[in-house]
Amino acid sequence: MTQFFELLVSGLSLGCIYALIAMGFVIVFKATNVVNFAHASVLMLGAYLVARLHDGMGFVGAVLASAALCAVAAALLDVIFVRPLRRRRGSVDALAILTIGLNIVLGTELSRRVGTDLLPSGAPWGSNVTHILGIAVPQTRIAAGAIAIVLMAAFWAAFTYTDWGVAMRSTAADPQTAALMGIRLSRVAAGAWALAGALAAIGGAFFTSFPASGVNNATGLLALTAIPAAVLGGLDSTAGAVVGGLVIGVATTFAAGYQDEISFLGRGLSEVIPFIVLLFVLLWRPSGLFGTRELTRV
Amino acid sequence: MSTGPSGITVSEGRGDVEAEDVPALEVEDLEVAYAGVRALHGVSLVVPERKIVAVLGNNGAGKSTLLRAISGMLALHGGSIEGGKARLHGRTLSALDPAEIVRAGVVQVPEGRRVFADLTVEENLRAGGLSSRGRGERAEARTRVYDLFPRLAERRTQRAGLLSGGEQQMLAIGRALMSEPRVLLLDEPSLGLAPQIVEQIGEIVATINEQGTAVVLVEQNAAMALEIAHRAYVLEVGRIALEGTAAELAASDEVRARYLGVAPDREVPAAPPSTPAAPARRGARELAAEGLTVRFGGLVALDDVSLTVAPGSTHAVIGPNGAGKSTLLNVLTGVYHASAGTVRYGDAVLTGLRPPRIAALGVSRTFQNLALSPASTVRENLLLGRHRLTKASFVSAGLRLPGARREQREQVRAVAEVAKVVDLEDQFDHPVSDLPYGDRKRVELARALCTEPTLLLLDEPVAGMNADESRRMAQAILRLREELGISILVVEHNMQFVMGLADRVTVLDFGRCIADGAPDQVQADPEVLRAYLGSHRVSQEERR
Repeated sequence: MTQFFELLVSGLSLGCIYALIAMGFVIVFKATNVVNFAHASVLMLGAYLVARLHDGMGFVGAVLASAALCAVAAALLDVIFVRPLRRRRGSVDALAILTIGLNIVLGTELSRRVGTDLLPSGAPWGSNVTHILGIAVPQTRIAAGAIAIVLMAAFWAAFTYTDWGVAMRSTAADPQTAALMGIRLSRVAAGAWALAGALAAIGGAFFTSFPASGVNNATGLLALTAIPAAVLGGLDSTAGAVVGGLVIGVATTFAAGYQDEISFLGRGLSEVIPFIVLLFVLLWRPSGLFGTRELTRV
Repeated sequence: MSTGPSGITVSEGRGDVEAEDVPALEVEDLEVAYAGVRALHGVSLVVPERKIVAVLGNNGAGKSTLLRAISGMLALHGGSIEGGKARLHGRTLSALDPAEIVRAGVVQVPEGRRVFADLTVEENLRAGGLSSRGRGERAEARTRVYDLFPRLAERRTQRAGLLSGGEQQMLAIGRALMSEPRVLLLDEPSLGLAPQIVEQIGEIVATINEQGTAVVLVEQNAAMALEIAHRAYVLEVGRIALEGTAAELAASDEVRARYLGVAPDREVPAAPPSTPAAPARRGARELAAEGLTVRFGGLVALDDVSLTVAPGSTHAVIGPNGAGKSTLLNVLTGVYHASAGTVRYGDAVLTGLRPPRIAALGVSRTFQNLALSPASTVRENLLLGRHRLTKASFVSAGLRLPGARREQREQVRAVAEVAKVVDLEDQFDHPVSDLPYGDRKRVELARALCTEPTLLLLDEPVAGMNADESRRMAQAILRLREELGISILVVEHNMQFVMGLADRVTVLDFGRCIADGAPDQVQADPEVLRAYLGSHRVSQEERR
């Protein structure tokens, strides 16, 4: 039973990280209608920068710097590559394929730089474990959960109350009308990409901390498992991203924790479990848990 | 004085344009094309400061294109300005993007209202005010909007999607006013609204104008537009066909006939009343609905409604917005389930059947808002209507076996036949997205006919059409009934349209049936007048 709770807590905390990453994915989709596969390599860039910078500026400074740099990088991807295609009314699939291409280019370059190294994230918690009510919880997990919750709350508040939030929601609902109201679509788009980039960087820093051992050349692949979290929650729902993230986090942790009991399914199930969960959810609800179904009043 | 199709009284217009008018917005020789196809040919117009300028015209005349060009929205619709320009107080707008044009002082209220449904009323207004920087300015603008529309103030925390059509239109206008525009562009503000609401919208636009904003009013409802406008232009196939003061145009024969529906040859040719139920050649049966009740959560959309459509007759259901007309159609076609009551068509009970089964019984419909596949051609859309009558399996069709090919040829022939009946031959191979609105409505009608129905349900067939177009639609419907002998159930809120057309009329209000009978009988019913025209109109009628 203790193991169950340990896994659950650890899974929820991992889920918070997934949720942050998935949220960025959803924000970009809502604001610009782009299914952004390059999100995975931006995450790897973030993790890589944290690993490179933490010696000089400490873990917190490295995360902040990495978030800022990734925000700029993601916004540049939007401005340089995506915007011209969107201007010429590129279709959703063309834009998605463009981002797959960007992901491959950026991911390959990062993998080349990482090479065969394993770069630790330098989180000050290391592998320390705290016992809460008899349950052993790694400190990274506590920090990750807390930071994710604070960020999500801040994001929700900004989304609900600020001008930026109103502009984002109007644009997501009806870009043409938003433009008619004087909302600058290209600014909203670049802002969404930047925010998603920052969230990906923070997610990446925790993603590669304990129990993961650091950034290696497969981190980009691992980051792709955050995409099922966004899709299963419903691509256009931020609340869905949070729930989807938690589901994927818990599922992954359980699959890893109980792998001896379920060894008949083969080892390493935890790496594919996000996609299996995604498959079953989509069979049941094709638009994801919270996604808007195509509904029209007749 | 004459009464337009909406029941609005056309007065003299509002005086001439004085010589010292300062032009606010000028459009010069504007040429616009979509993917190489010209939509506007050298359109010029002038909007003086503090004046209302109406732009009238048929569907597809280029009215929305003109507004898109002024607002810098053409690129988002795949169009471009090929020549000419729009200027605001001498400053060229054509090079600016939509957001900068709003900041320059020109704001558009798009057709179909397009409020942000998931945002609250207040957030919608806030979205409209994002372009003005100062906190104080925004608060001032909001106060002004709430003064103009007290209804919005009452509902400020409600989600915009829950507002009625009229309230959504008010919100759309209020949202545009939040940036304190110098020129307000209104694209069909009366579309789909009941007459009394249209009148209210007209008064509001006049008030906004009196407070100092110049207005460009694009309208189908020429009666309302000419009543409040100072000047007016008539667009025809991308060119300015007529221009002048509103009073001049309201008095011109051409405008009266085409846009105000007061043709010398009276309205719709009256249905020959002497043909009670033309021989039901296709085996039309009686449609009988009894005690239909539909609830959505706590809301009762239909309350114990009964009606009978005799075989081969034309039956109209009328009522203001939100009366339950579309709900009724949706229950008849199986899209919604009735909470209580039954629907019979001949011997078959329709309640509880799924839409395809109901279609198989010979019941076909059109939709209020177009439900066509825009990228497909007219031919393909019509062939979809033949689906029920196609026998080839997808395997034989996929392998193009001879039987399937022969059938395909026959289907295309049948479809071409129908296209001829509704006058779409020339557009047969055009993608639907290229066609103007009026033509698309006829594609819908044709598609419904392709299923060879014995009962045709039409949901607001003339919504958004001007007097001329609705007259032609009415003629087409009459012809169909005459030639095919099918039953037709028309849902409309244009009472004039229905009067010359229907054998029998049912009037709904707030989900209840308040009258049922022959057209002239219903028209004289005081309760109908009250529900339909508003008590204000009734008292006017009584004064006469």
